[in-house]
Amino acid sequence: MSSTPTRERRCELLAAAAHEEIVPLAERLLADGALPEPTVLKSPETGMVVLQVREPVEETRFYLGEVLVTECSVEVAGVPGWCMRPGDDRVAALSGALLDALAAAGGPATAEIDALCAAVAERHASQDAAEWADVTATTVVFEELT
Amino acid sequence: MGYSGVRGGQEAIAAAERLARRDRLGGTSRWLELDQVTGRLGLAVDRVMGEAGLWAPELAARAIRQSRGDLLEAAQLLRAHRSTLPRLAYSSPVPAVALRPVRRIAPAYRNPPGGQVLGATDDYTPRILDLTDEDTARATAPPPRRPATAGAPVVAPDPTVPPVGLPPAGLLADRRDPADPDPFDITRAPARPGVPRSARLTAMARAETGSLTHLWYLVTQAPRNAQPEIPLELRRGHLPLRIEHPFTGSPVTVAGVRVSEARTVRPDARPHPDGSRFDIGYGLCLGDNEAKALAMAGLDLLVHRDKTTNRLEQRVLTALDGPELAGYLEHLKLPHYVDFRSIVDRLRALQAPDPEEGL
Repeated sequence: MSSTPTRERRCELLAAAAHEEIVPLAERLLADGALPEPTVLKSPETGMVVLQVREPVEETRFYLGEVLVTECSVEVAGVPGWCMRPGDDRVAALSGALLDALAAAGGPATAEIDALCAAVAERHASQDAAEWADVTATTVVFEELT
Repeated sequence: MGYSGVRGGQEAIAAAERLARRDRLGGTSRWLELDQVTGRLGLAVDRVMGEAGLWAPELAARAIRQSRGDLLEAAQLLRAHRSTLPRLAYSSPVPAVALRPVRRIAPAYRNPPGGQVLGATDDYTPRILDLTDEDTARATAPPPRRPATAGAPVVAPDPTVPPVGLPPAGLLADRRDPADPDPFDITRAPARPGVPRSARLTAMARAETGSLTHLWYLVTQAPRNAQPEIPLELRRGHLPLRIEHPFTGSPVTVAGVRVSEARTVRPDARPHPDGSRFDIGYGLCLGDNEAKALAMAGLDLLVHRDKTTNRLEQRVLTALDGPELAGYLEHLKLPHYVDFRSIVDRLRALQAPDPEEGL
């Protein structure tokens, strides 16, 4: 059984999940009646987040650029849910917010949402590890010719 | 210069657009999928996102397809689209140490802590056009990276691969600014000489790559800049986009970008104000674009050193923006015949014999 992630961690994993992972689950929970009638507090909106960087020379901040994201807020049985994801997939952002609210409410679907989050976390850790294994294989020690 | 409006030729313009559309989408070639552009032309996608100032790989791929591979035009399209989008939030400031590297080389050091991690690079491969026949090239294409086997121990990326240290203490002027001023937003106010360094860094991060690297090359070759420039470190990697969670206020990572980063030093050959130390410059840009990061670091250093004039700062702030220069070039193709006719009239008047001459 998957452990329940923190609220922030759950949002990170729902943001990193694929459309095919979260949209069918949210649709099924809605169709099953497991979701009380949700209220959309903020419709999915595509916009930008300014990426602010602290550079190392003066240790001051500058704006590197902006990142395309889609944000959505909902409320399910009085419990708010929120999602911000990279890209412009509004359906996925709405689904993420619904799943966040449902998991925060602690209903019967929580275990399923936790399992989805665990699968996303494992996949990303595995991908990062595979990338890192490839990268470390290119580590070189230069020798000086004397 | 004034401009006169013109009208007419709507049918001809529509026909010209149809021709351009046919060049773009017609013909017998297969439909170009967006994932082919992002997957096979990744450096072009990165370059367009960097110059547009917006991390949006799919939209950048659309722009490249629409512009038929004209990256300057693609950056213009993406920058224009960017201007239609609302700003939803500002990220928490992310420090350079948060970068998860996939490549790190340190030209100033032989064996830095963590090693020289070459990553994916053709730096040590002869630059020879690959003439392998298509069937062989397809057959020998490497497979996609496979995730680690399920259940196998996961080796997390090593966060201890540190950014290479600065030169030994005392050899680099301490430029830390404890005031931590708010960054200058060049998208909301014009950046002109005298703006804070944060404006220059943003302007260079969004600069047209060719213009930036050319300016760096031009300036770095000048006799007054003869001291050697040596990169301390060049990195590529992943940078998280973190914002405050709207309910808890705690940081939450909602997305990530890939970046290229460079730090470079030059000794200061002049005895004053302090010829016994290095100057340092910093470069950071969206995507895999090492040339841009290196040139940005070099120019950051040289502008800092150029304290007596603002000539280089002015060029950095005003001459490197791709959509700006492309827009100016494009406008030259629009009708100018009213201006031209008035200049012709003026020149004829100047050349006409003076009626009072010979009286």
